[in-house]
Amino acid sequence: MSIMGPSGSGKSTLLYVLGALEPPNEGTVTLDGRDPFKLNESELAIFRNKCVGFVFQDHLLLPQCTVLENVLVPTLVGDSNTRVTERAIELIDQVGLGDRVDHRPAELSGGERQRVSLARALIQQPPLLLCDEPTGNLDRDSADIVASMLFDLHREQNTILVIVTHNTDLAARCSVRFRLNSQRLETVSF
Amino acid sequence: MTLFALVRRNLIYFWQTNLAVVFGVAVAVAVLTGALLVGTSVRTSLRSLALERLAAVSHVVTSANFVRESMAENVLETPVTPEVFTGSVPIIAVEGFVTHQDSGRRASAVQVYGVDDRFWAFHGHVDTIQPLERNEVLISEGLARELGAESGQALLLRMERPSVVPISSLHGRREDVGSTLRVSITQVLKSDQLGEFSFRPQQGLARSVFVSLRRLQRELDQAGRVNTVLLKTGGNPLDADVSTNARELAVAEAAVRETINLEDLGLRVVTLPARNAIAVESATGLIGDATALVISEVANELGLRVQPVMTYLANQLRFGDRVIPYSLVTAMDLNAVTEYEPQTLSRRESPVVLNSWAAEDLSVTRDDIIDLEYYVWENEGHLSTHQVPLQVVDVVPLDGAAADRELAPDYPGITEANDVTDWDPPFEIDLGLIRPKDEDYWDKYRTTPKAFIPLEVGQQLWASRWGQLTSVRISSDGGNRMPDVERLGSALRSKLDPLALGIVVYPARALALEASTGATDFGLYFIYFSFFLVVSALLLASLFFRLGIEQRLKEIGLLKSSGFPPRPIRSLFWSEAFVLALTGSLVGVLGAIAYGELIMLGLRTWWVDAVGTTRLTLHMSETSLGGGAVCGVLVAFGTIAWTLRSISSISPRSLLSGNLSEVTLGGEITSFSANRNSRVALFLALALVLLGVLLVLAASLGFLGATAGFFSGGLVLLCSMLVFAWAWLYGRPRRHTSGPWSVSQLGFRNTTYRPGRSVLCIALISSAAFIIVAVDAFRREGTGMQLDHRSGTGGFTLLADTLLPIVHDPSNSAGRDALNISDLYEPTGPLSDVSLSRFRVRPGEDASCLNLYQAKDPRILAPTDAFVTEGRFAFGESLAESTVEFENPWMLLNTEFDDGAIPAIADVTSLTYALHLSVGDDFVLNRDTDQPIRLRIVAALSDSIFQRELLIAEHQFERLFPDYDGYRFFLIDSPPDKMGEVAAVFEDRLADFGLDVVSADERLATFHRVENTYLATFQTLGGLGLILGTFGLGAVLLRNVLERRRELALLRAVGYNAGHLSLMVVAENAFLLLVGVLSGTASALVAIAPAWIERGGGLPLLSLGGLLLVVVVTGLTASLAATISALRAPLLRTLRSE
Repeated sequence: MSIMGPSGSGKSTLLYVLGALEPPNEGTVTLDGRDPFKLNESELAIFRNKCVGFVFQDHLLLPQCTVLENVLVPTLVGDSNTRVTERAIELIDQVGLGDRVDHRPAELSGGERQRVSLARALIQQPPLLLCDEPTGNLDRDSADIVASMLFDLHREQNTILVIVTHNTDLAARCSVRFRLNSQRLETVSF
Repeated sequence: MTLFALVRRNLIYFWQTNLAVVFGVAVAVAVLTGALLVGTSVRTSLRSLALERLAAVSHVVTSANFVRESMAENVLETPVTPEVFTGSVPIIAVEGFVTHQDSGRRASAVQVYGVDDRFWAFHGHVDTIQPLERNEVLISEGLARELGAESGQALLLRMERPSVVPISSLHGRREDVGSTLRVSITQVLKSDQLGEFSFRPQQGLARSVFVSLRRLQRELDQAGRVNTVLLKTGGNPLDADVSTNARELAVAEAAVRETINLEDLGLRVVTLPARNAIAVESATGLIGDATALVISEVANELGLRVQPVMTYLANQLRFGDRVIPYSLVTAMDLNAVTEYEPQTLSRRESPVVLNSWAAEDLSVTRDDIIDLEYYVWENEGHLSTHQVPLQVVDVVPLDGAAADRELAPDYPGITEANDVTDWDPPFEIDLGLIRPKDEDYWDKYRTTPKAFIPLEVGQQLWASRWGQLTSVRISSDGGNRMPDVERLGSALRSKLDPLALGIVVYPARALALEASTGATDFGLYFIYFSFFLVVSALLLASLFFRLGIEQRLKEIGLLKSSGFPPRPIRSLFWSEAFVLALTGSLVGVLGAIAYGELIMLGLRTWWVDAVGTTRLTLHMSETSLGGGAVCGVLVAFGTIAWTLRSISSISPRSLLSGNLSEVTLGGEITSFSANRNSRVALFLALALVLLGVLLVLAASLGFLGATAGFFSGGLVLLCSMLVFAWAWLYGRPRRHTSGPWSVSQLGFRNTTYRPGRSVLCIALISSAAFIIVAVDAFRREGTGMQLDHRSGTGGFTLLADTLLPIVHDPSNSAGRDALNISDLYEPTGPLSDVSLSRFRVRPGEDASCLNLYQAKDPRILAPTDAFVTEGRFAFGESLAESTVEFENPWMLLNTEFDDGAIPAIADVTSLTYALHLSVGDDFVLNRDTDQPIRLRIVAALSDSIFQRELLIAEHQFERLFPDYDGYRFFLIDSPPDKMGEVAAVFEDRLADFGLDVVSADERLATFHRVENTYLATFQTLGGLGLILGTFGLGAVLLRNVLERRRELALLRAVGYNAGHLSLMVVAENAFLLLVGVLSGTASALVAIAPAWIERGGGLPLLSLGGLLLVVVVTGLTASLAATISALRAPLLRTLRSE
């Protein structure tokens, strides 16, 4: 699903509410019948860790860590198993950075950083993948690559994908499209 | 990938920020641990110095009177002694005055030791020191340096000649109290050769002279006698604990009690076979009351009869024009010589029984009234003639008890004379009055009294503070058999406690070790002094850590959004904080050693005025280093953890935005909350202003101590200014900026960008300015001549100490005549308009800040009543209750306390910093003995010349310290323009007394130098804190500039040049600096108002202005450096990076 809308309309806020990063003023959020805002702090953290993957406009990679380590960051607090490193390498391969595993973010291009960020979002195999302007900082070619990978992985991992974007091309690739207008979601057709 | 690996990565990746945090922690730990190390080092140095000076000595037995030299050996021979004491040695220890013959240079307060080979052997130096020949001396390095003396040169050594008969009694020899030796220096002793030997702890250079014991004994007329016995114990002195010390002292005291004999106590037991009696007499001529009581008790216990006797020399027995000159008169139970019945006496005159020779010579019979004329030595220092009428009640023949020539004690200069005309008493007699018949009487009857009066009458006439009996006669009850002398002597010896009769057992080593804990706790002082520095360093560490966290807010947001619960995030940063704190502490420990070494170097060199010794060295202490490091880790970790605490409440989204202008640690700013918080802060600031003003008012009206009230008021005002600054900055003041100052005003506006940081900078700078201004205002400058009677000198221009006691009063003509200075007081003489006040002195340790050791046995002074009534000097706190006492707190010295405490006055500085006492507290002299003396502080002098001593009333002094005769301290009131001349004539004409005159202002300045040195140390450390503060300021500015580099790049893009941007940043910095300096200075001026007013409104503007200028220049330099560094980045790259 994609959500579009003018700046300041509350797209990102909606995304953060969906991702249990901010509580709604009213209404409820449920995922598989669970309302994360009824969980206590530690359960909420586990919920975010296991159920939600985030991709931000600003990739937010840890500059001090390598590509592999960045992808593994969510596993540091989850019930990780011994296969997480293999899975991380698999994901890195899938986003086309198999030969950059030990590189630091500073050595990567913007598109590559965003691909690492995508791999990190999927490392815990979350049912919900939330993307906030994932291609907003990228040039067209890079944006296309990232978008393709995003959809490929969404299909492969069978996640719910919610993308907040200004990019109509990216939004058009989603099967369900909304526009947030005056705090209301309106279905959009292209 | 583990959390540990992430911590490691973070520590390495953010090394620059982390290094700054480590630096801050290291500085804090270095300063804190260094301060502890300095405290330990000073204590250890003082302890080492004290032990080095004591050498082998553990206990010292001193006696006011000289005792048998063999007592030293006897002490070791008691059954219990060998278990504790392994050696003893007799020495003579007296104070002397030394003149270098070649240069004429003089040194007072020199310790003169009479020693022989046994002394060097006692200390294990037997092979290193050559035996001293007759006129040879060894001197300490300190004395050699002071005199500029070398081996082979001659010294004149003047000492007090001990007098058995008190010099302030009729028979005391006042004109010959000193003895001068011309000696040659054979060797200058280094400290490891016992050159610094001393059993009184004092850190200054020891001024010692070692003379041959035999030579000194001969010179002082004390052959075979000494006044000091040194004892030593086996084992390591540092191993001794409290119980060991107590046991050693008990054994030493028991040994002294067992060893001492009656002769050592100055008592003689004379057998009188003709009377079948024993007479107990005192070498002083008078038996003390306590001793007399013991003698009576012992005699009673042995079933013996006691006959107290008081014999006195009468100048005249007169009846009409008939006169008998210079006769001995005995006061005793008249029944011993007559059978008259006292109750038959109806006249008001006291009775007298004359022997037949006297009655015949005066031509008197029973009931005639004769006059008895006699001398009395008045306490004021002169002889006066008194006269009393007596009624003759009987005339007795010159036989039996009435012919007992032993009733008179041994009067030096009288009793041994062959003829009356050969008498050489220490007072004036008119030999012209002596008639041939008087010589005949002397030839035939010698000292047989010519008259007898009742004992109580004699005691009323002639009693003094040394006693009221000249002998005690002891006989068997019937008087027909001789009492057992041995048994009586033994009983007396066991009953008389030598420790109550002038013999003191002094646990020198234990007291020195105790005293070396210091009057001045340097560790604590340096912690106080360094407090600002430590806080600055910790603030800096916290600031850098905070900057590091602010740099990583997005990372925290990411971790939160990735499902990191708060605890792992906290653990992550806490782990980093712990590693940084630990690393900083370890580096700080190394820094502490360097800092400690630097401070010790400072104490030995720049601040030597405060410590008075160059013997202080750094001593490593695992406890100090470990304690400092642990404290450092805990405090640094706590500070960082507190910083972290503030991020827990920030929402992940805010963190993820990473837009620092929208995120403030501690909460997000909205226009509403800013206004609300700003208003709350404004109210708080106003409340603090009110509180500060109230404190100042309370202090002004006397409800609070001036210093406490004003200082706390100033601090509260400083806090209020900081809160006000925060409120103002937090409220984001809006102001249109235009005109030529617009760029600068833009800079001022930038201070509101991160109000917390700005306030932190202001706090650092204002605190430094506060400390510097406040401390500088307490600096005591040379005030010039103080002639005000209420000043620290009491209006006296000179003060003088003498080696030998002066009993004559220079204030009256008789005293001047006796001192041979009358000519100086003639109308044209140099002393014509000079007056002086004199004080009795019991020598002791220096109780001022000049002595780093805690004075356990301070010097005691006693002013005369005339001085007390003058009411000079200024006082602080006192126990005054009446108007008279408030006006003249000296009157409190005459207070009578129910518990027997003795009122005492001391200087407030000595009380506070050296003795650690307050007004109302007690100081106990002779604390570890059976005879403690409780001195109660009744008033505190303000900043006076009496910082070395405690003062008590003269009558109390005479009662407590009868052995310390005469006056040895003088305050001289002379016209300021004649000071030099007055000092010179006094030193010249009273040179035999070892008179040493110094300017009262100079003495006060000596104490001020110590205070100023401490203040300079305080300021130096405050200055170091300031440097750290400016580092912090620079770091904050750099951080601000870096965070706003996009904005700066934009400004450059629209035409601002580097100059504009620099001006903007410097304006911001200058604003923070000026607000800091002004708020710190203003609140400090409030805090120091009392001191300011006391100084007459003067401030050391030059030094203060200079210091504050340094603050501003340093701060501006730091800001310029930060600006240049930030603006060096090329415009395009900066813009592109964003």
